[in-house]
Amino acid sequence: MIGLSQSDTEVTHDSLKVQELDEVMVTATRTVRQLSSLPLPAQIIGKKEIQRINSQRLDDLLNEQTGLITVSEFVGGAGIQMQGLDSQYTLILIDGVPLIGRSAGTLDISRISVGNIKQIEIVKGASSSLYGSEALGGVINIITDRPKDAGFKSNIRYRYGTFNTHDANINLNYKKEGLSINTFINRNSSDGYQFANAANLNTVDPYSNYTFNTKVDYAINAKTNLLASARYYLQDQEYAPTEDEAGEITINEWNTQFKLDHEYNDRWSSYFEFYATRYKADEFLNTLEDNTFFSNSDYNELLIRPEIRASFAPNENHSFFGGLGMDHETLNRTDFSTNPRFNSPFVYLQYEGSPLDKLNVILGARFDGHSDYDSQFSPKAALRYELNDKIDLKGSVGYGFKAPDFRQLYFDFTNGFVGYTILGYNAVNTKIPELDQDGQISTIVVPISEYNGALRPENSVAYNFGTTFKPFSRLKFEVNLFRNDIQDLIDTRLIANKTNGQGIFSFYNVNKAYTQGLEFNTSWKLNNEFSISGGYQLLFAKDKDAQNAFKDGEVFARLSPSSPSFQLTEDDYFGLFNRSRHMANLKIFYSIEKWNLDTNLRGTYRSKYGLFDTNGNSYLDNFDEFVNPYSIWDWAINKTFWAKYQVGFGIDNIFDFTDAPESETDLLFVGNIPGRIIYTKLNIQL
Amino acid sequence: MKTLKLFSLIAILIGMTSCSNDDDPVQLLEVESVTVSNLFAPQIGGVDQMGNPSPISGEFTKFDFSTGQVTTSATEWDIAFRATSIIINGGVSLGSTDEPERTGDVAAYIASGTFASIADVESSQLGQDSGNGYVLSDWYTYTGPPTFLITPTPGKIIVIRTRDGKYAKVEILSYYKDAPEDPDAFMDEERYYTFNYVYQPNDGQTSFE
Repeated sequence: MIGLSQSDTEVTHDSLKVQELDEVMVTATRTVRQLSSLPLPAQIIGKKEIQRINSQRLDDLLNEQTGLITVSEFVGGAGIQMQGLDSQYTLILIDGVPLIGRSAGTLDISRISVGNIKQIEIVKGASSSLYGSEALGGVINIITDRPKDAGFKSNIRYRYGTFNTHDANINLNYKKEGLSINTFINRNSSDGYQFANAANLNTVDPYSNYTFNTKVDYAINAKTNLLASARYYLQDQEYAPTEDEAGEITINEWNTQFKLDHEYNDRWSSYFEFYATRYKADEFLNTLEDNTFFSNSDYNELLIRPEIRASFAPNENHSFFGGLGMDHETLNRTDFSTNPRFNSPFVYLQYEGSPLDKLNVILGARFDGHSDYDSQFSPKAALRYELNDKIDLKGSVGYGFKAPDFRQLYFDFTNGFVGYTILGYNAVNTKIPELDQDGQISTIVVPISEYNGALRPENSVAYNFGTTFKPFSRLKFEVNLFRNDIQDLIDTRLIANKTNGQGIFSFYNVNKAYTQGLEFNTSWKLNNEFSISGGYQLLFAKDKDAQNAFKDGEVFARLSPSSPSFQLTEDDYFGLFNRSRHMANLKIFYSIEKWNLDTNLRGTYRSKYGLFDTNGNSYLDNFDEFVNPYSIWDWAINKTFWAKYQVGFGIDNIFDFTDAPESETDLLFVGNIPGRIIYTKLNIQL
Repeated sequence: MKTLKLFSLIAILIGMTSCSNDDDPVQLLEVESVTVSNLFAPQIGGVDQMGNPSPISGEFTKFDFSTGQVTTSATEWDIAFRATSIIINGGVSLGSTDEPERTGDVAAYIASGTFASIADVESSQLGQDSGNGYVLSDWYTYTGPPTFLITPTPGKIIVIRTRDGKYAKVEILSYYKDAPEDPDAFMDEERYYTFNYVYQPNDGQTSFE
């Protein structure tokens, strides 16, 4: 895909230049910064860890990180939950540019292979001051690898495991003087799995996919660098939502990025970037009985983004970074009232500096203009103060937003099984009169004049306060307290009744919610061979209106259909669906250098969570049924022979945890954990 | 699950004991507490699996509180059911096919509370079916995917003034046949109402105690 690991070119600031050995990231500031110097909660997952745990896809890798969990949605694949915020509020970038294809809000991160990744950078807390929409909960930036050594190098990696899962990778690298070329090919396929009693929707149908990625990086001269990158992804997956229909889902995605960097002098640099990406998903279903057409659904999204960036460093203590660009987006989709086209210009500016010796500051703001919803101004401020060599304090406040998605604006969908209709906000004004003329409307509940304005983006103010304590260089403790105050959450409401007895629903800004909690991380590197790390997240994620409804005694529950209802109190409100109050992880890495052997054991824990209301009051309360807590343990071992050959073996989910449905009516189960996975891996370096 | 069953058993016991009343002055009739099971409220038409709506029709299933029975009378009814639609014998017809004429002056509202906590009628809240919709439309929650259930919303108690000026309160318990413990929208037969009601047979008495 895209990009260039900007780390190599966007160095603008002498005092911030660091050795390659130190962990550096570009995501937090869009300039190269040493991870430990950042005033924001941030984290890096390196290539070494990715290789040692024999990870294949991004979802299984992120699942092991503190406070992150992949949550499978009923539609839309596996998304990532960060600081208790849903996956549609985390921006996913590859080499600094965004992935698209959120047909139902979730970006399915299992489509991202980790076979050519240098590192994954995670920034928590609202980051719209740099990245605009979607960076409400945080940003995950996948930095792809680039050739390091001159000459031609290649690498072949193959992994085979349970469920007939194949993962084959080829990396071809060439580097000579200013030119470097990397080509990456991945094929991933699996027979999938199915739980005996599960509705077919919730388990994984057989699939195969390919990823192709080529990057060319050319230094025209010492001050000018050109990058061209292209990525293509293709997936075919069987599709069987019920026992009576069968079909196929085909995903086609491409991304291209061109970037020209130029350094004018010690103070000024500029970057021209052009990015284009298309995501296409086509699905069809036939009725099995007579093999006739049942339904189809197409999704075709395009994003084109030209952007100019510049950096200016008047002296070594202060630097400025700014950008100007335009997003052009189009979408063609089944069940839409129109084929929307958006043009949204944006501009941002950021200051980084050290006004005092031990104080580091980031101030930034971004403006996103838009034709179809309110324009957004997103400021952010972050401070880090070094108390002494061992302790630092950091805090940040930032604004984040997520633009209304195409669905919320333009949906025009009638449910095939029940008959209700969902209209996007901007479709209400035209569709309601049409339906009325058709005689399909019995009563109007919300006057359509309320839909003359614009839907506001969901937005949040994020607060993060943390400290790092390093009593010795090999031992580290980190604590971060977070709170995200979210408002204008978009929900659906009944706007009219149809003559068929069902409702017409549309979107509106209503809910206020918050997520708050604490994240704790510790790592201890005993020596070069042995290290241990652990993490914990405490989370409270609640809808404020729901909390008030409980407080005011407006919420009732019943224990079974034949029992009367009783009143609930504020303490009975558990919070938002699919959130666990406690999540924890533990990782032990051990390498025996004289044997060229390394091994590791990793565990994750998730406390109970609710998937949906089970007692009819539409809220998740303590009298609902929950998914039980669980923990998963993974083990891997790798040995290198003759420097070039590496053989690996591992077991994911050693204790074979599954929570399969007990009966066809049991819908509270863990759909994305298929049980024990045993695999072997072969890696050849040429 | 075991604790849930235990809870429900306790709740049922509480429910049973709390409904029995005594101590009424001799001249008054006793307030009745009754459970109606599997009142069938079918409907013709609706939306088929392809999403094509077809006209809805079918007789409403009418209920008379004074007899405590389902009735087919054109006039002697208080409340009537067709799928999720509940109408009362008072106000104006919405004009849907087969919707009966309102011949009475029945009025109703949905109160918020536990069944036992609704001790008295708030006369000011009484309303009737009108062009804006049925006064008793908001009695259930549609769960949507993945369960697609129609669940009577807990805490919604129907309070009704019958056509002969008596009062009743109703708590709908289930929309599925035999009020199953874990209803399944795909397996269980729908449009079977199970509800509890308390009927105050004494003229003008607005208290349910």
